[in-house]
Amino acid sequence: MAIKHGARFFFSAGNQPILSSTPLQLLFYLNIWYFAAFYLAEILMFIYKGIILPYPPDNLILDVVLLVILLALETLRIFYGWKGNLCERSLALCASLFMLFPCAALAVYYLLLQTFVLRLEFILSAILLCFYGLELLLGLISLSAFSRSKVY
Amino acid sequence: MSAISSLVPARFLTIIAHLVIVITIFWSRENNVKASLPLEFTQEQYDSEDQKLVVALAVTLGLFAIELSGFFSGVSMFNCSQGLLSLAVHCGASVSLSFFVFEMWECWTYWVIFAVCSVLPAVVEIILFVGVFGLKKKPL
Repeated sequence: MAIKHGARFFFSAGNQPILSSTPLQLLFYLNIWYFAAFYLAEILMFIYKGIILPYPPDNLILDVVLLVILLALETLRIFYGWKGNLCERSLALCASLFMLFPCAALAVYYLLLQTFVLRLEFILSAILLCFYGLELLLGLISLSAFSRSKVY
Repeated sequence: MSAISSLVPARFLTIIAHLVIVITIFWSRENNVKASLPLEFTQEQYDSEDQKLVVALAVTLGLFAIELSGFFSGVSMFNCSQGLLSLAVHCGASVSLSFFVFEMWECWTYWVIFAVCSVLPAVVEIILFVGVFGLKKKPL
């Protein structure tokens, strides 16, 4: 009797389809590396702009503080998205998608609204926004897949 | 496996670096076009030279689409040979196109960089596409 129940549970657990999204996981993995390169480039560009251009000190402090905030938000967002996708948790993936909007707002700030925008910054921020758009789309698809499933 | 986990992001970042510089050249190609012309040039000469460079850059973006589609579809993501080739030629392209922008090289030098650093990985990518989808080989 115990063996029968155990076997049925095992086979039932083994028959669950994997709902994690491989393209979304790929995007998160490459986004980690791309954001590291983006952050390094931004730091170097701020050093360059602080030295070469007549940057007002208050604006420079604001832009650097927003860069630190972007790092914190991005780290949390990728962690929750990564964890939510691999563990098939709707709540963690929801948190990741909600944190996408302040991250996108900061990327738009660096694209258009900061004091001095270099062409390189424009291109790098545009590519980062492409990452965000793709992750939003794939995140919503994964979220609907997780919510549709009947798990336990 | 550690080689694979290093090669995939390195290849992706070098492709993005090359793409960023190509887009930058779209924006700042006026100096390179003027470097290809004599001191006294007509508007027709300028437009002709500029159109050649724009065609070269547009074809480069098309080849980027081919290579990135192969990369993201998994056809060549874990292929070590294509990964190393792509890494080497895109690093070379990033460095030489940086010189192209800063030193204001003439437009004919772009075709040399284009032939070596954009056409070669795209051709290998197409060969891998044919191998994986046409000949049903495993994509590794």
